[in-house]
Amino acid sequence: MFSPVILGQVLINGISLSAIYILVSLGFTLLFGIMRVVNFAHGSLAMLGGYALFFLYTQYHVPYAIAVPLAALVVATLSLVLERMVYRWFYQKMFQSMIGLIGLDMALYSTAAIIWGPNERSIPSPVSGIYHLGPLFLSSSKLVIIFTAAATLLAFFAFTHLTRQGLAMRAAAQDVETAELQGIHTDRIYILAFFIAIFMAALAGGLYAQNYTLSPFMGERPLMMAFVAVILGGMGSIPGVALGGIILGMTESFVGTYFGSTTSTFVTFGAVILILIVRPWGLLGTPEAS
Amino acid sequence: MKSWKFVLSALIAAGFAFGAVGAQAKNKELKIGVIGALSGGGTAWGQGLLHGVTIAADELNAKGGLKVGDTVYDLKIVAYDDQYNAAQAKSAAERLVNEEKVKFLFGPVGSPGALSAVPVTQPAHVIEFVDGYAPKILDNQWKDNSFVFRTGLSSQEFADPMVAWVKKNLSDVKKIGVIAPNDAVGQQAITSLVNRYKSQGFDVWTDFYERGTKEFTPVLLRMVAQNVDLFDLNANAPGEAALLIKQAREVGYSGKIIQAGGAGVNEIVQAIGPAANGFLKYDIVDFDDPRLQPFVKKYKAKYSGIINGLAPQYYNTARILFEAISKAGTLDTTKVRDAIENLQGWDAPIYGPLKWTGKKTYGVAHQILIPFYIDKVKDGKGVVIDTITPAGD
Repeated sequence: MFSPVILGQVLINGISLSAIYILVSLGFTLLFGIMRVVNFAHGSLAMLGGYALFFLYTQYHVPYAIAVPLAALVVATLSLVLERMVYRWFYQKMFQSMIGLIGLDMALYSTAAIIWGPNERSIPSPVSGIYHLGPLFLSSSKLVIIFTAAATLLAFFAFTHLTRQGLAMRAAAQDVETAELQGIHTDRIYILAFFIAIFMAALAGGLYAQNYTLSPFMGERPLMMAFVAVILGGMGSIPGVALGGIILGMTESFVGTYFGSTTSTFVTFGAVILILIVRPWGLLGTPEAS
Repeated sequence: MKSWKFVLSALIAAGFAFGAVGAQAKNKELKIGVIGALSGGGTAWGQGLLHGVTIAADELNAKGGLKVGDTVYDLKIVAYDDQYNAAQAKSAAERLVNEEKVKFLFGPVGSPGALSAVPVTQPAHVIEFVDGYAPKILDNQWKDNSFVFRTGLSSQEFADPMVAWVKKNLSDVKKIGVIAPNDAVGQQAITSLVNRYKSQGFDVWTDFYERGTKEFTPVLLRMVAQNVDLFDLNANAPGEAALLIKQAREVGYSGKIIQAGGAGVNEIVQAIGPAANGFLKYDIVDFDDPRLQPFVKKYKAKYSGIINGLAPQYYNTARILFEAISKAGTLDTTKVRDAIENLQGWDAPIYGPLKWTGKKTYGVAHQILIPFYIDKVKDGKGVVIDTITPAGD
């Protein structure tokens, strides 16, 4: 049980799990960081990303490398209607957004079940098979997720630190009124942040559905894991998401393998409770100004 | 002008006359209750139940309705969603029995919902058809005057012959790994199955996961370290079973995989594609059976997507009920219940001659006895490789 081979496999599983959690958490934390919206419809928007990828890649045979970002782009563009009709009413209203967006979540997955049926489907991987690293195993779909999560994290970090729009977004996240006094159009920044957040949710959803299965109800788990990763790392913090995702993925892999899934769940949620008591703003978050 | 008014009056009078005739000819309405998961993770099962019963009711309505004595009834399905949740199932049963006044009920799907609905339906003498495996669905305080029937096999009937099949056909298997959800359903299923495997001389390793898990690699890696020869998915839902198969291969498990329970081989194949090849599965219907083809044709004409195994099973059940009501010539549920019991040998559409069993096991002969099938997934399709009819009591 504690052989180097098993330990190596546990490490590989931990890395791929961390990548999945980072990917599904990025859009969630962005929406909270900028607009103070707790997006409980995040899972359903990820699910829509899964269906978009399914139809583009398996039904319309769009090449995979194009289908993945295109699916996210389609969902993000269409969701601007939701931004106008629903999300806009909840900006800077954290508690109202929780309740309102639970309703949106239910509406989205129920509609999906009516349109596409309740059964689970598979999105085939473009490079089928399992890679053997000596005695260790790594599936192609998990390899895709690891690279996509790393690339997305780096691209988003570069965007928020090196571009005018990204810097404006960070300024609006820190203080809306001061940002407006500096000439930043926060309305436009909100729409941009919303678009990027949903793009990332849908991107994560497509890869999540490919790695697991696609169904109208697949969003529940990514939402929960995103919530936990973001609370661990700090609501609204991008480096916090990376740290939260790594802690969550590695804990689940190591504790789950050596001590069982019940202990793993106990340790994970125990850590969340501890963080909320000792450091409610998360490991890398910043406390709300009183 | 006068003639125009006359024609109009005549037309109106004729309209009223035809309307009156139409109203006289209109059948009375008989509500048929359905409880199943119509949203959430168990939707495939709930929809299977609903679609099967609906097709049976549509058939009868198209023929003019259900004749009960001198009265003809149009069947109306009243469906409630329990989201595969015991509390919701009880609430749905209370509404159907007390508000909708239904006398005949299909569902809830699975054991938790059925166990919470039975205390509502049995004191009210509502005839209920269920599929959950829990023995107490039949073996309960109302068994001396029971109105509940189980119209699919439970593990009590299929587990022994299934384990015997494994012993006979997978002779190189010595150690079996069993992974189940860490809740009442999983604990009960795993205890029952493990005891049977052990009684046949197998070494068994077991572990649990939290319901809702998508990432099984940690628990599967624990299993791989145990060097098991056969991985049994027992009563896991199709979605979970599919991921367990796929991820078992991803962490390097190369042994055989079987599921000794549950319905839905096609759902598993659809969910994980070629990763399902070689998988062995207990199943409740053989979709290649010629008896099923008329049902399959009607299903495809009305619905799209995969046909869940519960659809033909509950279609069969609904046809049993309608036949019994016709034979009883009344809606009195005691007389209809007796008619159902007396339908032994009736040629039911899906499974053929009807046989009730369970008097020794449950104290009431309300357990259907039908064959079960062992599928093997080949080239992305479940193919029946064996058919077994369990012994009744």
